[in-house]
Amino acid sequence: MIPLLAQAANPIVRWEYFIDEWDQIRRALVEHLELTVYAVALGLIVSAGLAAIALRYRWMVTPINGFTAFLYTIPSVALFGILVPYFGLSRLSAVLPLAAYTLLILVTNIVAGFNSVSPEVREAADGMGMTPARRVFQVELPLAMPYIIAGLRIAVVSTVGLVTVAAIIGQGGLGRLILDGLRRTFWTPMTIGSSLSILLALALDGLILLGGRWLTPWAQRGRGVL
Amino acid sequence: MMIAQAAVPRDIGVLEWLFDSTSWTGTDGILSSLGDTVILCAIVVVIATITMVPLASWLAHTRRGEVSVSWLVTLSRAIPTFAVAGLLVPISLRSGWGFEPWPIFIALLLLALPPIFLNTYTAIQQVDPGAVDAARAMGYSETEVLFRVELALATSVILAGVRVAAVTVVATEPIRAFLGGDGLGRYVRDGLGQNNDGLVIAGAMLIAGLAGLTALSFRSVERFALPDGVRRLATSATR
Repeated sequence: MIPLLAQAANPIVRWEYFIDEWDQIRRALVEHLELTVYAVALGLIVSAGLAAIALRYRWMVTPINGFTAFLYTIPSVALFGILVPYFGLSRLSAVLPLAAYTLLILVTNIVAGFNSVSPEVREAADGMGMTPARRVFQVELPLAMPYIIAGLRIAVVSTVGLVTVAAIIGQGGLGRLILDGLRRTFWTPMTIGSSLSILLALALDGLILLGGRWLTPWAQRGRGVL
Repeated sequence: MMIAQAAVPRDIGVLEWLFDSTSWTGTDGILSSLGDTVILCAIVVVIATITMVPLASWLAHTRRGEVSVSWLVTLSRAIPTFAVAGLLVPISLRSGWGFEPWPIFIALLLLALPPIFLNTYTAIQQVDPGAVDAARAMGYSETEVLFRVELALATSVILAGVRVAAVTVVATEPIRAFLGGDGLGRYVRDGLGQNNDGLVIAGAMLIAGLAGLTALSFRSVERFALPDGVRRLATSATR
């Protein structure tokens, strides 16, 4: 299909591209990061609300879990596609599905985190005269943090991967480089877009891991003693 | 890259198009796209099952590979299929394997392996040690312990892993249409390309429908494939 000469001129990565097209790569990277942050932030807000409902009303756990699991199984191409007629090829059409996919893991982990707080601790906080709001934010939330961080890591890493698919509706950051390369049968942007999105996922994962250690120093202190 | 565009009149209604028998038949019809998708997904899931179930059962039976499991949990939800396939397209072409379907095949296989491995491994690991010891005391060989006790008790969880893998693969396969292939994702692609909202929605409905149907059919297989005793024992463990 592709003549031999073109093959030779079309290596898997042409390094000059990094310098020549740096602006485009940087823009794609920033857009990728923005879509990830918006989607996970929105997912986190909605999950916090759903988790609060599930923790307050036990009977809501099953319907909420069922709903988020249902959202998670909707194929990404279908979900991106179905929003286009309503929101156009806009950022919103990309962020909404991405946020929807984070709900399952985030709600599960937030609920598990708060359930892991022992009743004794809660009673002690009440006994010290804490208001329920203070108890939740100063005692329970910090203790639930390791679970929430674990969920956040998975949510962020999988969102970075899914953002590339949003390229099919003209968003998608690094995914656009992949589609662009494919359209022009020019391998360099494809390789760069794919590798950078994998590297970005690893980098963000490490960053949240470090952030989690900084937020919950006590969780690490015990490990040092043992 | 030559891709035949689905010829659908712009002004036709979504349901009208879906219920018109002529849109299902022919070389460009829904049935042939559906066939492409189902065949690829079936091959992926079968290969993942026949490799991962023996590997994971052996590792779990001999209590090896504890570390790999927790690592796999994170990995299984983090594989960027689109990026992996995108990375493989140039490599596949330069190696003379062509545009399709190797890159998407390998990317989907990577997606299908972890859930099957994980469910098989944890299911066999969690088989009641009392049952295993009783079987050994009755003179079962290690192979018999594995096949007649551990695998028998683990069947429903293993099937659940295969279901998760199958649904994920079916739900992800449509990106193939954006990587130079066809399959059921082509209608969303063509609809987006032609600015034809009806076609996009119809295509999305077909994809979501197939994913839902896959989940449903696996659930009914899970129900019928099990002996009553095992079903009662194992229902609590199913995901």
